[in-house]
Amino acid sequence: MDGLLAVTDLEVGFATESGLARVLDHVNFRIGRGEIVGLVGESGCGKTTLARAILGVLPANSARIGSGAIDFEGRNLLDEDTASLADDVRGRQITFVPQDPFSSFNPVFTIGAQIDELMKWKSPAAEHGGGMRRYPRARRRADRERVLELLRTVQLPDPEAILRKYPHEVSGGQRQRLMIALALLPEPKLIIADEPTTALDVTIQAQILKLLRRLATDRRVSVLFTTHDLGTAYEICDRITVMYAGQEVESAPSDEFFAAPRHVYTTRLLQSLPSREHGISGIPGQIPGLVEPPSGCRFHPRCDSASAICRAGRPGVTVVGPDHLVRCYHPVEGGAGEAAA
Amino acid sequence: MRALVLTVNRLAWFVPTLLGLLAITFTISHLIPADPIAFIAGDNATAEQIAALKAKFGVDKPIPVQLWNYVLGVAQGDFGVSLYTQRPIVDDLVGRLPATLELAFVSIVASAILGIPLGVLAAVRRNSWLDHALRVFTVSGLAIAAFWLAILFQLLFAMRLGWTPLQGRVDGWGPDVITGFFLIDSAVAGDWGVFRDVVAHMILPAVTLGFPAMATVMRFTRAGVLDAINSNYVDYQLAMGVPHRVVIWRYVLRNALIGTVTQLGLILGNLIANAVVVEAVFDWPGLGLYAVNSILQSDYNAIMGFTLVIGAVFIIANLLVDVTHGLIDPRESH
Amino acid sequence: MATFRFLLRKLAADRTAALGALIVVLLVAVAIAAPVLSTHPEDVTEFHPPERLLGPSGDHYFGTDRMGSDVYSRILFGARITISIAVIAIGVSVLIGVPVGLVAGYYRNWASDALMRVSDIFLAVPQIVLAIAIAQTLGPSIENVILALSATYWPFWARLVYAETRSALNETYVEASIALGASPWRVMLLHVLPNISSSLIVRTTIGMGGTILTAAVLGFLGLGPPAPSPEWGRTIAESREFLPEAWWYATAPGLAIFLVVMGFNLLGDGLRDILDPRTRRSTDG
Repeated sequence: MDGLLAVTDLEVGFATESGLARVLDHVNFRIGRGEIVGLVGESGCGKTTLARAILGVLPANSARIGSGAIDFEGRNLLDEDTASLADDVRGRQITFVPQDPFSSFNPVFTIGAQIDELMKWKSPAAEHGGGMRRYPRARRRADRERVLELLRTVQLPDPEAILRKYPHEVSGGQRQRLMIALALLPEPKLIIADEPTTALDVTIQAQILKLLRRLATDRRVSVLFTTHDLGTAYEICDRITVMYAGQEVESAPSDEFFAAPRHVYTTRLLQSLPSREHGISGIPGQIPGLVEPPSGCRFHPRCDSASAICRAGRPGVTVVGPDHLVRCYHPVEGGAGEAAA
Repeated sequence: MRALVLTVNRLAWFVPTLLGLLAITFTISHLIPADPIAFIAGDNATAEQIAALKAKFGVDKPIPVQLWNYVLGVAQGDFGVSLYTQRPIVDDLVGRLPATLELAFVSIVASAILGIPLGVLAAVRRNSWLDHALRVFTVSGLAIAAFWLAILFQLLFAMRLGWTPLQGRVDGWGPDVITGFFLIDSAVAGDWGVFRDVVAHMILPAVTLGFPAMATVMRFTRAGVLDAINSNYVDYQLAMGVPHRVVIWRYVLRNALIGTVTQLGLILGNLIANAVVVEAVFDWPGLGLYAVNSILQSDYNAIMGFTLVIGAVFIIANLLVDVTHGLIDPRESH
Repeated sequence: MATFRFLLRKLAADRTAALGALIVVLLVAVAIAAPVLSTHPEDVTEFHPPERLLGPSGDHYFGTDRMGSDVYSRILFGARITISIAVIAIGVSVLIGVPVGLVAGYYRNWASDALMRVSDIFLAVPQIVLAIAIAQTLGPSIENVILALSATYWPFWARLVYAETRSALNETYVEASIALGASPWRVMLLHVLPNISSSLIVRTTIGMGGTILTAAVLGFLGLGPPAPSPEWGRTIAESREFLPEAWWYATAPGLAIFLVVMGFNLLGDGLRDILDPRTRRSTDG
């Protein structure tokens, strides 16, 4: 699968009262064309920060980007000026499905008005650049047709009526369907979905995930999907990357990931899967602080297999199978996770 | 639809609330059997003269009868006769209302025109020197006694510098009264000399009244914009690459203004309270000055009339604020 | 006590709130120590006409007034009047308004509706308008200013407490204790009142500033304590006929009002940030 996006060696810190928190510590991550990749980890592991870094919307006053590159179709997004990114990449080639569909709509505008506003800037027919320009009537009409068609595609009943409604007048599941439709409308190459189903109840979660998977596959759109829930990731992802405390620790195609995990942390995650309503539990020890993280491998204080070398230096990437990478000095032998899968 | 029901419901309470206000003011003004009649009649009046005066003003009857008569009168637009001007109070009030409305209107519009953009700027450049300077400004605006500010302005700009007139609404007779709003009347007459004079007279009182109003507008706009900037919908818009400018001035401002609109009642209440003393200081011939003169003359009927009219204006204004709020905030109607 | 210390620590950390607290503490200190701090304490009642309208000097920091009395000393004593009016007026209106709001909020019957309607009528006009009417009827004195302010301010507390009580009654733990048979008084005093105490503390602090301003307006209109009281509003009114020459006469008392009101407002804003989590903004998430 040829590459669409490659994050290399990315370092992002946040200024906090107690010092600089190293939220992303030389992270590598990639996503191929048409590929659906799950970015999995506990809250605070840096997956949302990575997603926001790719979108270019880290909080300007507290985030510090140290080193690294975000390569998107041959251009390094970190080198480019923010205004041109906002115009050309963000909302066009890369779109976004937010975590909370309840509060991500502006409560005082109708849904139609908000979609119009977005389409004015981001419809595939919209020209680039320009200030507060007008929205030509012909394009508006054409865009409106595309919107209605897509709303039907995401299985929203009576799209015309929904466009006239205010956000609080439609259900949470419908709002998230709208968000997915909005993410697809600009015909992007990559959709970044940041825990898109956590705010929904379980039955609706499954529907939304299937919908996202089907639409992305049909249109050959890549999806970066962050979640803390391995079960969710298993349902829709082609490949899964696990993050722990600001570093990626393992990356593998979904089937292999569940069949033969190689990082100790991954095996623990899989073992804790049955109790998934409690989140990730049953791993002794605590998530380390990011201001003064542990030396060497960040997981070593909680790892049974840890040795002196784990405390001394950070493990490099080991290729353990086709498209299967792990950062560990003592990878688990293949097959250890079979019980869980 | 529900907004309409609410409005009708509020309208239905308009008359009972005014009646209640009337009862309260009547009770207040008859708490102490003070004797304004003796005050008018003078020290040398005979018993017969006083009795005649009492009959004229209707204060010779028992209090409940007086209240009833008063309510009947008010229902017919008759607030009684001023003990001081000896004219029907309704005429006095109606004659002075435009002066107060014109001043209040200019102050509110000016404070909104200046206060809203400054509030947005303060929020967008949070913790910059501009934000801090504007905060000092808002805090002062809400802590300063309006009558004192009025006097300071007079002292500096009228007495020392001579840039503006000291007091009054216009030199000489002013424009021919059409609407009673001198700015409009002089403009309609094409008399730009008078228009300039009216503006010159209005600057100090309008700034005095507008300062606290502007401080409130700025404060709530800033808070509203900050709330909106930190909201998920703004985050979403920015993540989708909608230009920052568009997000702030189109999305954020509308949400922020809802908060400011809900404070309009408070702003108006302050404005009315301040108008009483500011008009007194600037000798501005409006309702406030009338009320102050009535107080000095112990003119109960006039004070009651003033209270009722202000109450009615205030209730109607709050009603309009609610309706506006319902119109710009769709969540309100559900 | 632990919560009090928590409050102090938080206040000290917030520079503007700390400034407000400092001003308020200074005001109280100045009011108490007025006889010691003032340079001419006897000038509250004594006149020295030959020394009238002297400009600021080493002997008269803020000059002298129309009677030749020391403006600085009179302002210090004026602080006593301002504090007593504001504290007593707020105290009385809270003592009336809070129980009214609690009871009306707890019992949902015609009587509670009627009580709220009455307070709505009071709230239908700006406070100053009714306060002027009352103070005018009763005649100029400190007691009457307090009466006028309390009589027009209690509905504000009743409304506030009523709304807070209604929402507190929807809290699960309050519903539970009612279901378990707790008496109304127990529920109101042990559950509802503590629930609304933060918001009461914040509102009383900000209310102090507003009340001081309103009291000054009454004084300015001649409805406050009569001459020769050193009340600040009255002093400003007296000074007007000696402008622009005797600028200090008008400036000093207004500055005093401004400082004190700002102190209470800053402190109130600071307390709100600390105590009222609903107005605190969440920046994470």
